[in-house]
Amino acid sequence: MGVFLRASRALLLLAGFYLLCLLVLGVFAGTALAVHHWAPGVAALKIDFILALLALPVVRASFFLRPPQDDGQDGLRVSKASQPELWAVVRQAAEAAGTRAPDEIRLTGAVNAAVSEDARMLGLTPGRRRLRLGVPLLAGLTRAQLMAVLGHEFGHYGNADTRLSAITWRGRLAVTRTVRAYHEQADRRVDKERTRQEKKAVKAVAKGRKAKAVDTSGAGFGHRRTAKVFVAYAKFYLRSSQSVARRQELAADRVSVRIAGRDAAASALRETAALDAAHAFYLRTYATAGLAAGLMPPRGQFYGGLARLLAEPGRQEELAGLRAEPPREETSPYDAHPPTAERIRLIEALPDDGRGDPASSGPAMALLREPERVLGELEDVTLTAESLAMRRVDWPELLHLGRRAECAAGAEPLREAVRQVLGGDATLRALLDAADGGALWRVADALPKSEEASRASGRAAREFLRPLLRSGLAELVILELVDAGLARWEMSWSDGARLDLSDDYGDRLNEALEAAVADTPDTRPLRLLLPRALHPATF
Amino acid sequence: MGRLLPLFVIAFLVYLWFRSRRGASAGTRSASPSALSEGAFALGFLPESAQNTERARRDAELDALSASVRAGEWEPAARAVAAAGRNWERRSEIVGEVAGVAAKDDAWLTAWETARPDDPDAAVVRAKSTVFLAWEVRGGARADSTSREQFEGFDRVLRRSRAEIERAKALNPEDPTPWITEVWAALGLGYSHEAMRELWAELTARAPHHYAAHYSALQYWCEKWRGSEALAWEFVEPAIAAAPPGTLLPALRLVLWYEHHDDDASEADYREAGLTSYVDAVLADIAMAPPTHLRLAEVRHLLAYFLVRQKRHAEALEQFRMVDGHVEALPWRRYTDPAAAYCAFRDTAVRKAR
Repeated sequence: MGVFLRASRALLLLAGFYLLCLLVLGVFAGTALAVHHWAPGVAALKIDFILALLALPVVRASFFLRPPQDDGQDGLRVSKASQPELWAVVRQAAEAAGTRAPDEIRLTGAVNAAVSEDARMLGLTPGRRRLRLGVPLLAGLTRAQLMAVLGHEFGHYGNADTRLSAITWRGRLAVTRTVRAYHEQADRRVDKERTRQEKKAVKAVAKGRKAKAVDTSGAGFGHRRTAKVFVAYAKFYLRSSQSVARRQELAADRVSVRIAGRDAAASALRETAALDAAHAFYLRTYATAGLAAGLMPPRGQFYGGLARLLAEPGRQEELAGLRAEPPREETSPYDAHPPTAERIRLIEALPDDGRGDPASSGPAMALLREPERVLGELEDVTLTAESLAMRRVDWPELLHLGRRAECAAGAEPLREAVRQVLGGDATLRALLDAADGGALWRVADALPKSEEASRASGRAAREFLRPLLRSGLAELVILELVDAGLARWEMSWSDGARLDLSDDYGDRLNEALEAAVADTPDTRPLRLLLPRALHPATF
Repeated sequence: MGRLLPLFVIAFLVYLWFRSRRGASAGTRSASPSALSEGAFALGFLPESAQNTERARRDAELDALSASVRAGEWEPAARAVAAAGRNWERRSEIVGEVAGVAAKDDAWLTAWETARPDDPDAAVVRAKSTVFLAWEVRGGARADSTSREQFEGFDRVLRRSRAEIERAKALNPEDPTPWITEVWAALGLGYSHEAMRELWAELTARAPHHYAAHYSALQYWCEKWRGSEALAWEFVEPAIAAAPPGTLLPALRLVLWYEHHDDDASEADYREAGLTSYVDAVLADIAMAPPTHLRLAEVRHLLAYFLVRQKRHAEALEQFRMVDGHVEALPWRRYTDPAAAYCAFRDTAVRKAR
């Protein structure tokens, strides 16, 4: 089957999708009319209301191709006047790709760049064009690499492919977005692209799908049924147009190479894959480290800190490893992108175009005027009100207090077990006294257990509890040390946050913990390591 | 569709029932179970419900020991281990019996250790009980249905057992038992092949033809644990070649074959010439084994299984006669209901041998 036939089939299927939308709406309208005819009055109004609720996402998400999450309100809009250099590069990339420049640039917090259009008339006529550009890309890419990324994105809109294929591509985009509007009900596989980006840590702070997706849960069962029909068709459509989509991705890669050069295009793919991992790690270890303590990094640093991590000499080896090993697996069966490793291989197999080292073009972040202010404003529009209301502290304080709060949370199950079994205020001392009195394993038995652990009996049951008991105890000890000012989490960009206990103390603590959670507990070594024993005069 | 659902469920249940019977029902298609059992009873065989699934043969001393340690008395166990002396096969059997109890509740063992610190016999029981405990924590399921918590506990407890194994070795340097215990730690912790060979050299220097030791080490060399079928053969053949007749070591070939092929063997595979000669070699070896050999019953069970598979029913029946009543042996122990599996094979032999 040639490209034309394949594309035509995809077009037909896309038309089918809209037909399905019309059909569903028609059924709704028919039902409403019938109800009014047979049962006028309050009941009919109620049914009207329910039908309207059911129809709303169909109308909004698919028919007008304006799914709610694409309302253009996400991210930070930057004007031509405030960011002329960035705009110039974007325009240059679009021009080189043979397509028109976007009407709007919006900065986001994701490791992603995307061009979208508010297309009208079932996606056949162009509308307002929008570039979403993740600041982590600006932090991690050089100018040449950014050009390569933009080249790929604009490549989808250029004349590099047949007109019909372009419609297919837009169709896929529209269908995917429609499916996303039904996110709560949709099969997770279809949605992998999205959920992947919403890593746990980000979900906690960034304005996630809750704010953007249509709240369909209230509409209940009927709504879910309707959604299923669309999702099923969408999956079918996505699968049928897969081969066309794949070709387009590779064609877009060729545009990227033409615009930015072979080396920049290949290295941009490697760098983006590395950034994906580095950014997730950064969010987990640094940016959101203070959440447990209700703290945020200084304004602008939530997104700005990534650049410091990337610049840290102690992290270069890990980063080089990530660049060298791009992901080989397909991300999802519905993703149009071939595995990154495959795309890189194809690009690197091209002859040398002599455009040289992409590193010489300088960092992409330099395109941004007043980056601190911009990154601060980006926080305002992407983070939740709760996190924006949090106290701002410097990085070292953030990591220290954040880890302290996590430590306290980690010790909570053990505290709760102590309260349950012994009553009282559940201090470390109370627990150690209870251990000396032979009650330790009774306390341990009150810890929350896994299914396997609660099935076990005798010595095996104890083996399941021992590590839980040990880690809870360790956390209680560390909290005492920290609160007495004898220990602190030291933060560094090369090593996260590390508790500054001496090696010797650490070894002794391990042995003491081991003795304290033995079948016959011995708490003496542990007591010798507590603040009161270490500094009798002070505590 | 909705109306067909119960049909599907029933079909699926029937399929599951068939599958569970498949292994056990080799050749039992033609007669009803009650008729079979009647034949078996006429020959003096015990019903399924009367089969002991704790051990492979009758052993009154072990029964008594088990009862006494369960009751919290350590002295009978201490006396029994001491009485076994340098009968290493018996020593490891007694240690295994009481260590199995200690893996669940070790109060009696702690009492023994307190009463006689540095007793090598208590030390060897302690080490073995900890290895058993590790397996208890892991559970008997396959790796993919074992939780991370279970694996971590397994690993942690096995690591702890190593210190206890070393202590037992130091307290009685001649005793191979702690070395045999270490084979199971090696298997669980994934010792390198080199480390395993060193361990094996030390073990065989102390007990060259110990059946249980060989069985354990063969598990290590099997594909499902730390080796491959080729490595398992490399281990088994020299061991058999070096062993005098009557040590039962030729049965290792059957164990090896069972571990690597039984799951997807066809009827013809069981009757293939190689396997037939392995079975014959075991028959020849048991004929020369002392009737008091502690592993004889275990080997007869395995032999009986293969003889039924090879349709040598009369020969199988002879083996069944000698072991009926106690079924804790390969291959029955691999079935969810060992007694039922045993009886199904036994009854096949009874019926077809006539």
